[in-house]
Amino acid sequence: MASREIVRYRSPTRGAVQAVTVIFLIVFLIWTVLPLLIMLVSSFKELLDAFQLPAVGDWGDVGVMFDFKPTGRHYVELFTEKHFATYLRNSLIASFGSAAVSVSLGAMAAYAISRAQFRGKRDLLFWIISTRMAPVVAVMVPLYVIFRSSGLVGTLPGLILAYTTFNLPFAIWILKGFFDNVPYAIEEAAQCDGCNRWQAFRLILPLVAPGIGAFIVLCVLFGWNDFLFASIIGSGGAKTLPVATAELVQPVKIQWGSIMAAGVVTTVPMMFLGLLIRRYLVAGLTMGAVRE
Amino acid sequence: MFHVPKKALYKTISRRKFLELGGGVATVLGAGSLAVGLNSVIVRRPVYASSSDDAKWRQYEGSKLVFMSENTPPSFAIRDNIKSFYDLTGIEVDILTDGLPTVQQKVGIDLRSGRADYQLNYVQDKPIGSPFADFYADLNEFSKDDTLPLDAQGYGDEVWFENFLDACGVYYDRGPIRAFPYDCAVSCTFYRQDLFEKLTKDFEADYGYRLEFTDDTTYKNMVDFAAFFKKMHERDSSIPYGYAQHHGSFGWTTQLDIQRHMYAQNQWLDFAVDDTLGSKNPGPTNWGDAQSIKAMEGYQALADVSHPDNLTNGTLELNTVYAAGGVAMQIQYHEFAASVEDAEQSVAAGGKTAYAMGPKGEVSWNSGGGDNVVNATNCGIGGIGINAGASMDLQRAAFIFASWACSHDTQLMVLKGVGGTPTRKSVLEVPDVVKARQRPTTMPNALTFEAVYDKGIRSPNMVLGPKIPKANEYHEIVRVGTQQCISGELSAQEACESIRDELNAIHDV
Amino acid sequence: MAADIAHTPDEARRDIARGARTIDYTPNAFNHQPARYYLLWLMLPAIIVLAGISLYPFFWLIYMSLHEVQLAPGKSDIWVGVDNFLRLFSDKKFASGWLTLFKYSALCLSIEVGLGVLVAVILNNSRLEKVLVTIFLMPMMMAPMVAGFLYMFLYNGTFGWYFWLLRSVGVLEGGTILGDRGWAMFAVVATDVWQWTPLIALITLAGLKRVPQDQLEAHMVDGAGEIRNFISVTLPNLYPFLLIAILLRFMDNFRFIDTILIMTGGGPANATKILPTYLFDVSFKFFELGRGAAIAFTLLLLTILLGLVLTKVFEDPARKLKTGGGG
Repeated sequence: MASREIVRYRSPTRGAVQAVTVIFLIVFLIWTVLPLLIMLVSSFKELLDAFQLPAVGDWGDVGVMFDFKPTGRHYVELFTEKHFATYLRNSLIASFGSAAVSVSLGAMAAYAISRAQFRGKRDLLFWIISTRMAPVVAVMVPLYVIFRSSGLVGTLPGLILAYTTFNLPFAIWILKGFFDNVPYAIEEAAQCDGCNRWQAFRLILPLVAPGIGAFIVLCVLFGWNDFLFASIIGSGGAKTLPVATAELVQPVKIQWGSIMAAGVVTTVPMMFLGLLIRRYLVAGLTMGAVRE
Repeated sequence: MFHVPKKALYKTISRRKFLELGGGVATVLGAGSLAVGLNSVIVRRPVYASSSDDAKWRQYEGSKLVFMSENTPPSFAIRDNIKSFYDLTGIEVDILTDGLPTVQQKVGIDLRSGRADYQLNYVQDKPIGSPFADFYADLNEFSKDDTLPLDAQGYGDEVWFENFLDACGVYYDRGPIRAFPYDCAVSCTFYRQDLFEKLTKDFEADYGYRLEFTDDTTYKNMVDFAAFFKKMHERDSSIPYGYAQHHGSFGWTTQLDIQRHMYAQNQWLDFAVDDTLGSKNPGPTNWGDAQSIKAMEGYQALADVSHPDNLTNGTLELNTVYAAGGVAMQIQYHEFAASVEDAEQSVAAGGKTAYAMGPKGEVSWNSGGGDNVVNATNCGIGGIGINAGASMDLQRAAFIFASWACSHDTQLMVLKGVGGTPTRKSVLEVPDVVKARQRPTTMPNALTFEAVYDKGIRSPNMVLGPKIPKANEYHEIVRVGTQQCISGELSAQEACESIRDELNAIHDV
Repeated sequence: MAADIAHTPDEARRDIARGARTIDYTPNAFNHQPARYYLLWLMLPAIIVLAGISLYPFFWLIYMSLHEVQLAPGKSDIWVGVDNFLRLFSDKKFASGWLTLFKYSALCLSIEVGLGVLVAVILNNSRLEKVLVTIFLMPMMMAPMVAGFLYMFLYNGTFGWYFWLLRSVGVLEGGTILGDRGWAMFAVVATDVWQWTPLIALITLAGLKRVPQDQLEAHMVDGAGEIRNFISVTLPNLYPFLLIAILLRFMDNFRFIDTILIMTGGGPANATKILPTYLFDVSFKFFELGRGAAIAFTLLLLTILLGLVLTKVFEDPARKLKTGGGG
């Protein structure tokens, strides 16, 4: 199975294995897609339609899932009455803003760390990576105090900075790996041609550009999907989509239709972005340790 | 950005412009304007005791306040009608709403940081009031100040329903008032009268008495009812389960649920403390005594025949189950009547639901004899409090809002709108409201008023619950202990003893 | 953070002796500004931002953990030494929080790795690889809190499709998914498995592509069966990839608690109360900030420990992963 070049023998066992394999794949596919499908379908249902379920064990009646009159009401409401356009904008600004800040500061730092040799470099790198790994709940209170005293709570710049706490170390770590792979000879040659260091740095940037682009997208994804920071640091003035979604749970009713619609609105853009950078996804999500 | 009321006249002006206008006006009038805290602004004009009412109302015209509130109906209603407050005072109020756990976090962090981003807080009595009471301004300082536009009815104990002001305004010390009652959630029984009538014959055949809910229905009857419905449900799935408790992830509502049950028997209380006042050192708890174990056994028996979702349904989820036709009875807070009576989202609407007090205690569950049983009723009184960390002018401006939000007229407006829960006695005397108690009604919450205001909150039925600084941890301990019991992990006795040990540990007993 | 950049051959030799990796770097004569300062300036902005958002909270955490933090306004915190830490020893919920965290992680990781490797092995080089991988990675893009709501919806005992499914199949006899202590744990694990199995599969796929063909073929010549082949050749080659996947996922298990907070809040009866959710309660519900800081500190220790392991793994095999093998 590991390679196609290896000679395979036909046998009853192989047939059985293949059948099991196919069934497993189908089950896994359904397991992966079904929740997404139900989310999508439910977002078009009225509340009472969403409550319809066949009787226990009544497999023939599964069709009830699709037996409803679709309504776009939840989506319309989200954007007309519930200000989701504003939250969408906030989400966009906060996640792209933080990605831009992280990657630009991160690229400079990563380049420097990559090119410099100094005592304590390993410790510095370790400190950077551990910043990224600290549990959010553990540092939330002191972070709030800092943000509060600088007047950043409830503002988009505050949220951008909050996302930078996890995006910047990520960017430094990943981009350092990129710069490590760019031979120093290129900059040297450039400097021979009369470029100064800064120009030489700018010269090699295009070489790592596709990677940088992909990691900007990943930083956007991390920021976009954040909930804890957004709910506490961004509270009020910089409400993002996940926070607004959570607020659809109201004391007298859980608006499942709206929540599912909000889920779709929050998820779909990120799925497209994910597909866009498909090639870099594994590298990004493993902090650069694994490349495809 | 913050929610902007749809009809707000300043909606078309940018915030900066708005502030400039406010500041400009203030400067012309010889007063200072100062931006303070998160999105709050204060503009002051001098007033005197002899000034006109209008001048008193408008003394902070151009100011801006932030109110951090739970997402309860009054807050939505007030937010929708904030323009009338703006027209009256010229003060802009941002009403931020969140679920109670989140409000608790944000308010807690804000109060501790000492900066007063939220000048106005929703002081839900136990979860927010008990731990943070000392952070709130004493409203007595304002309610006697005749340079402020004071409410004609006043703010004394007698204008609110009994115990309400104590519940949300008095903490550990009789002097200061920390909050005014803004809304209330009082427990009462919601049950499906249509089903009760339909099934009473079957029930009578099995149990020998009628399937009906009265003021004398006991918790033991509830066990019968629930067992009967469960049996019927297993036979015919179109018949719902009978009953479900509140056992979701939020500790407080779970604690309230078991508290009713415990108090119904012998008026049992967790601590030997006067609940209207509370205590910073409640001392040893009564959990683990014979009465608590006996009542817990009854609670377990009821859990055994309840809806299978018992351990996941918080208050809100439980109401969703009821509205979806999943249970025939729930003990629920009366503000939920509005959603249950909404035919668009509830199958229990349109006269199918009847409302009554909570069940009575069961004499045979009293330990050591005695027939002291009550229709235990409890509540969450949402107060509106003012952050003492804010400047005096902000506090005064905030008081104007607090006073307005708790006034007779505002409560009536909310009740007529999305379905409020009045705290002022006078609201119930309004002819329209009296009429609304009968079906067909335009104010569904009024259907519960007899069960709630006429009976439930009266002595001896009302139980306020422990007011202690560690209230939230107490709720969590009681929740976990109770859940361990009804999920079968611990016996009733073990659960009560485990609760006792943990409570005594946090209070260093 | 004084940068001590090797700019003389002697210093460079010293650093190499200490184990520094060498990069083809020579002090160059074309730049008048010394390299060390230039590079330091490039580094500085990021370092300053990071220090502000990580060092200050860290020292604050230590301060809080040694004090009884007062809730009343105007009162100063009381020094209590290591009391907050000592109290943790008698705190049953602290111990059970750790236990539940490990149980939760062990369940998540074993299922995710098992399924992920299986999916990867099946998909590797198959015709459907591209299409299916694209579909499988969709859940990873979802915000964890949205996934929490979605699964809460699916598990609901009144209108949840997964509830109906489990009931209809007959495995769930009474009760509901999130209301049962055993099922609730599996329910939160299943959510994590749904979101993150694809990541393990992707990492494994990347690993499979680098299994040296010559080794495989050599074994084939020996007449080894496919299963033995997998165990003796493929698996050892996959090991570093799986190690990285496990470490990263384990770390995320206690970094992100959105799903658990939304779905169960740690209930029922603390069945899903992993340590970070308990920490959340202590700090944000009970506002016992001193006790919370002590708990947070223990959690940070684990993080640092894991971080050390991770950097080791990253630095050694990772280099091989990128450049070595058939990749």
